[in-house]
Amino acid sequence: MRADLIEAILRRLLGFVLVLLVLSLMIFVLARIVPGDPARMALGPSATAEQVTALQQEMGLDRPVLVQYASYLGGALQGDLGRSLVTNRPVIRDVAEFLPATLELVIITIAIMIVVAIPLGVTTARYRDSWIDNGGRVFSLIGVTIPSFLFAIGLQLLAANFIPGWPILGRVDRTLPIPDGPTGLLLLDSLVHGQGAVFVDAAQHLAFPALALAMASIGQITRITRSAMIENQRKDHVLTLRSFGVPDRVIVFRYLLKLSSVAPLTIMGLEFASLIGNAFVVEMVFGWGGFASYGLTAILQKDLNALMAVVLVSGLFFILANLVIDLILSLIDPRQRRGAPA
Amino acid sequence: MSMTDDRLTEDLAEGRPADTAPLSAGYMTWYRFSRNPAAVIGALIVISTILCAIFAPLIAPYPDHIGTVVDFRSRHLPPDAEHWMGTDKAGRDIFSRTVFGFRVSLLLVVGVLGISVPVGSLLGMTAGYFGGWTERLITGFTDVMLAIPPLVMALAIGNVLEPTLVNAMIAVTLLWWTWHARLIYRVTSQIMAEDYVEAARLAGASHWHILLREILPNCVSVISVKTTLDAAFVILFGATLSFLGFGVRPPTPDLGSMVADGRQFLPEMWWEVLAPGFAIFYATLGFNLLGDGLRDMFDVEA
Repeated sequence: MRADLIEAILRRLLGFVLVLLVLSLMIFVLARIVPGDPARMALGPSATAEQVTALQQEMGLDRPVLVQYASYLGGALQGDLGRSLVTNRPVIRDVAEFLPATLELVIITIAIMIVVAIPLGVTTARYRDSWIDNGGRVFSLIGVTIPSFLFAIGLQLLAANFIPGWPILGRVDRTLPIPDGPTGLLLLDSLVHGQGAVFVDAAQHLAFPALALAMASIGQITRITRSAMIENQRKDHVLTLRSFGVPDRVIVFRYLLKLSSVAPLTIMGLEFASLIGNAFVVEMVFGWGGFASYGLTAILQKDLNALMAVVLVSGLFFILANLVIDLILSLIDPRQRRGAPA
Repeated sequence: MSMTDDRLTEDLAEGRPADTAPLSAGYMTWYRFSRNPAAVIGALIVISTILCAIFAPLIAPYPDHIGTVVDFRSRHLPPDAEHWMGTDKAGRDIFSRTVFGFRVSLLLVVGVLGISVPVGSLLGMTAGYFGGWTERLITGFTDVMLAIPPLVMALAIGNVLEPTLVNAMIAVTLLWWTWHARLIYRVTSQIMAEDYVEAARLAGASHWHILLREILPNCVSVISVKTTLDAAFVILFGATLSFLGFGVRPPTPDLGSMVADGRQFLPEMWWEVLAPGFAIFYATLGFNLLGDGLRDMFDVEA
């Protein structure tokens, strides 16, 4: 890899580390300023004052907030995120258990987004102002105007009423032999273990949640792809190709698509934030039991350690996704490598 | 084809002497807007939503049903002439509650955007205008904040404080300005290269004068497009949060928690989800159409 590329990545990474620090500090400090004593909450109302003080000392709550934060951070770097008040296990184990379910959902969602949105954007741009284009516009508009929870509820109802036997809750039929590892992603694990029935069942469970989650972003990405294609059609080099009689197909797939994928990819990185947010809703509706469900429970139960983990992991998720996108962009577009403002 | 041509053709076709007086910029803008059916529909939807929210007590057939009314004899009634959208689990009129639900949604829009748009625009303008250290500081901070998923932030702050819609939306406001700051920063940087800014500076105009009289007026169109589209996002966002349980205090109706309440009784009592669900769709559709129309009208990127 080239030095400029590595430098650009390092610079982004540094910025991202900063993001995580600011984010976690903000939550941490807020949680400590606000009235409500975690030690008291953990012990319940019947505990004596001495017991509370003892636990406060054990949890380090008597030290200054910044010192507490530093020790939390030190622990986090070694993989110790504290104990969850709800599950009464190390938070890191909860993360390891619940994260793969969400990861699987998000990966399939992104795949659906790309497979639907990019061809749709290309087609609507190619047949601009025709009925295909108008249909695409309505489709995108529906995507941005209907909240994910309505998509989720609607798809669940459709499946329940019109496809007999189609699963609408959970990740997999619990009566099937669930493959044990290695990744926790059911689709992958069942393939590794050669369990076709589990694979099919998991895929059926996955289809509608992923579709519901994808719908919110498909509209946006279709729109951006379309306008990028249209804008780039007017570029000099494309006009030159056309005047040389290069076939349309070649222009679109070899030249235009590459150039026009910069904008949608950038947006996809930013959309990732709302994807994480919508995952909370979709997981809730479909009883997915993933990381977002875990986060929601943590929030409603005021489980601070679990909550910090949820915030940090979602932040990390967002950052990694954007890093991957930056990498792809720098491969597609050499101008991105110099860290030039987008 | 320019608007003047259009009007000229019209005049000639109808046998009038050609009116060659230049058309005002305001007229041209209005002309472009009024010829865009989607934008006009969007504007009508937005206006009707706002009117609904303001005059909710007059429109709702049962205005007292937003309170602690319980009427078990008429619970879960399907839509009929008396209850246009049926009734919910406590026997309350869903249409009335939906009309009042717009109030919460629009209050959120005013609250979140009323703070984040001015703050974001001001920061963006300052960064673009002064450059140097100020620029690096503001854009750096904006980029950091931009990477925080708003829903996660809202949930986190909701956890730390109380899980209410107001607290969650305060958290959202803390992040929302970043989008405006980024956009206005980009626009301002472009405007800075214009001759009239240079001319104002050479004429000895103060920073304030240049910022408020030369740069701000040129940002207005971008800001209004972005703000209109954002209004739709805020409504969606508020509905999502209240669907997840970060609602206003019951029994005050808001659209997201109405959907969450009605979901338990699907698919038999479909009307309990349909009305609030459609209301969310209606409001966001209006702001989206209007925003797209404004964008075409002003011909800006936002």
